[in-house]
Amino acid sequence: MMVIFKNLLLFLFYFTSVSVLAQDVDLSKMLDDEAQKGDKDKTEKVYATFKSTRLISGHSVENTYKGVLDLKISHRFGAVNKGLYEFFGLDNASMRWGFDYGITDRLTVGFGRSTFQKQYDAFFKYKLLWQSYGKHNIPVSVNIVSTAMIQTLKWDNPDRKNYFSSRLFYAHQLLIGRKFSEGTSLQLMPTMIHYNLVKKATDPNNIFALGVGGRQKITKRISINAEYYYQLPGHKFSDSKNSLSIGFDIETGGHVFQLHFTNSTGMTERTFISETSGSWEKGDILFGFNISRVFTIKKSKAK
Amino acid sequence: MAIVFITCLLSWANPGVYITSTGTIDFRSDARLELIKAISKELKGAIDVDKKTFAFKVRMRSFQGFNSPLQREHFNENYMESEVYPEASFAGKIIEDVDFNTPGKTTIRAKGILSIHGIEQERIIKSEIEIKQGSIFVKSNFTVLLSDHKILIPKVVSEKLANEIKVEVVAELLPKQ
Repeated sequence: MMVIFKNLLLFLFYFTSVSVLAQDVDLSKMLDDEAQKGDKDKTEKVYATFKSTRLISGHSVENTYKGVLDLKISHRFGAVNKGLYEFFGLDNASMRWGFDYGITDRLTVGFGRSTFQKQYDAFFKYKLLWQSYGKHNIPVSVNIVSTAMIQTLKWDNPDRKNYFSSRLFYAHQLLIGRKFSEGTSLQLMPTMIHYNLVKKATDPNNIFALGVGGRQKITKRISINAEYYYQLPGHKFSDSKNSLSIGFDIETGGHVFQLHFTNSTGMTERTFISETSGSWEKGDILFGFNISRVFTIKKSKAK
Repeated sequence: MAIVFITCLLSWANPGVYITSTGTIDFRSDARLELIKAISKELKGAIDVDKKTFAFKVRMRSFQGFNSPLQREHFNENYMESEVYPEASFAGKIIEDVDFNTPGKTTIRAKGILSIHGIEQERIIKSEIEIKQGSIFVKSNFTVLLSDHKILIPKVVSEKLANEIKVEVVAELLPKQ
């Protein structure tokens, strides 16, 4: 009897120690399993697809965060092929300054002023889709950007009847972007630009273009960016060239410096997408930079 | 033999593993020019009371707070590299003999591997634990040196980011079902 009892005990002991061993397999693995169960119900948004809300001259799928004011100052110098006399273009500068403000994390509004044609611009940018994974898997971020531009030069011909509407231009863009990996992001930018008044009767009032752009990080704080806008034949001004820009983003805390080479002097959609006159083949390449400095106006509370 | 029997009974009576997935962990960097605070309420933890082993984990992206959304982005992108090292963890063994069956407060030392930014450090971290009816309450304050975990502070922010980060953990662990 005693023997049976002992054997039973030994069996029990063996059984429990096995189960204790099994339990001990790995606490941290157990936490991972628990976490996976929880993560199924969670949606994780993708952040930092680009370092700045501008890829180079045009918009990126990044928005200014809620309550954040982003002061942007941009310069485009003259063409480098002008030689030493113009100090490789640095003697001439075209400038735009402006503010972007995040009303929500998805809605940004902005305002700017350019020296070129004394132009004001204002835009809104809304994030329709936010690239995410988890419960809701969204492969791309999609933004819509609408910009209105007003040039305020004195009328060429003040004697004739001039309409205020002749000063207005509109640009509408869809930005479709995806962060493929920590370092690599690409985006497509179908664009329509409307001119109320064009120079020649043969010029179209609506310009259509398809932009492609991307970035590749080379260090944590520096990336190489490229941006190209292809204007659809038949929907462009006959003398305009496609805009191509290549540059670097350098980020230092609250600042982002963007340095680039481009054939476009303009810094608003209608001036660089549809009115670029320089061509890369002829060496009409110019140096430019954007400086962005963010200020937190309204602090968001920790959730 | 009787002792074996009793231990068997005890380990059956007392569920071996206590867990949580809603612990809080917060940190603060108190530099000369800037105070940065952030908190996560998604700290996951487990204590095996039989083995006296433990494991705690937190996803870096679950930290909220900071002084601006951009700062949070930089925390993930430039400092913690959350894409590459998504979690920080601390796992190991409790040095003291703790009787998890008797309610009460006690201070213990937890010895284990602290992994942050993919760099592992062996640490002994003091922690208060309170054993309650059906739960274990854990509270701990400790510091983490960024330099220990190869998190570099660029010169331009050296006055805004402390090397010594104060961390506080508060969690209540319940028996695993």
